[in-house]
Amino acid sequence: MNLLLVLLTMSVTLGAYVFSRFINKRYPNPFLNVVFLSTALIIAVFWFSGITVSQYQDARNILTYLLGPATVALAIPLYRNQEILGRNILPVLGGIVVGTTANIVTTVWVAEFLGLDKLIVTSLVPKSVTVPIAVSVSGILNGDPTLTSVFVIVTGMIGTFLTPFLLNLLKVRNPLVRGLAYGTTAHGQGTASALAEGMVQGSMSGVAMGIAAIYMSIAAPFLVHHVLSL
Amino acid sequence: MRQGLRFMVQIALLWAIYQLGNWLAELSHLPVPGNVLGMLILFLLLLTGVVQIHWIEEGADFLLKHLAFFFIPIAVGLMQWIGLFRLSGAQLLLSIVMGTAVCVVVMNSVTGLLVRLCATKGGV
Repeated sequence: MNLLLVLLTMSVTLGAYVFSRFINKRYPNPFLNVVFLSTALIIAVFWFSGITVSQYQDARNILTYLLGPATVALAIPLYRNQEILGRNILPVLGGIVVGTTANIVTTVWVAEFLGLDKLIVTSLVPKSVTVPIAVSVSGILNGDPTLTSVFVIVTGMIGTFLTPFLLNLLKVRNPLVRGLAYGTTAHGQGTASALAEGMVQGSMSGVAMGIAAIYMSIAAPFLVHHVLSL
Repeated sequence: MRQGLRFMVQIALLWAIYQLGNWLAELSHLPVPGNVLGMLILFLLLLTGVVQIHWIEEGADFLLKHLAFFFIPIAVGLMQWIGLFRLSGAQLLLSIVMGTAVCVVVMNSVTGLLVRLCATKGGV
């Protein structure tokens, strides 16, 4: 491990993040999404300075490792909202279970119909939940975990545009329903957008991403082997 | 300084629960990832009062506030798959867009229906 290179690439990552957050706060626009903007900036910096993806690997592993404790931290919004959660347990669970199942089945059907490889289709299955969980499930399903992690990020970017667009189109005003949709379709990236919309939306999105991840990790192996026969 | 130390201890506690989750996942051979078990363990510890929320609140809120940051290094990995996206980008995007769209529409009907059902039963 080249310590200097790790420090340098980490600083570039942090710099791009801080800058993108500033831009996003100043000009709130879905196309100036923090993850999207930071990624574009870092790729541009690497491109011009000749840093390769393999040279970024160490910094990436360290930062990605921190997603583990960050996932555990999701118990906090779950605990804080136990009252709203308890009162609406049936709609919350029902919506997440049916929505997540529909999401997996639709994605696999469309991907197979469009002639994508089996490995790619399998790697798409866990795409809607937070990275550390999606990656673990991808391994269990014999998908490609790195490919899955990229799909998760792309899904998050798409969800932050598409989910609010559809919710507005369907004239959904209930903050509970809105928050659940954000968290179920676009995990942490959706939760960040939901928090910007309001506290109830944000906390429900956090709850949804947690429950969707738990449900997906249990349901995906079953769906893949018995329903979708991948 | 003391604030910083507190902060480090809180994140270390979250990390320890994460490791406990990993260890239990390996031991039990459940098809559930360690981080999910860690999250459930922490939730139960909070509900039973074994862990007080203020012990970990600041560290947890910090990690969640900057959740987007941890996704960036993975997104940079897109560079490696540029060939795949050039080849099947449209198919991939369409699969993801359709899955997401169907999920939002279905969820809205199911959650909305269940909210109304529970409300008429005198709940909510």
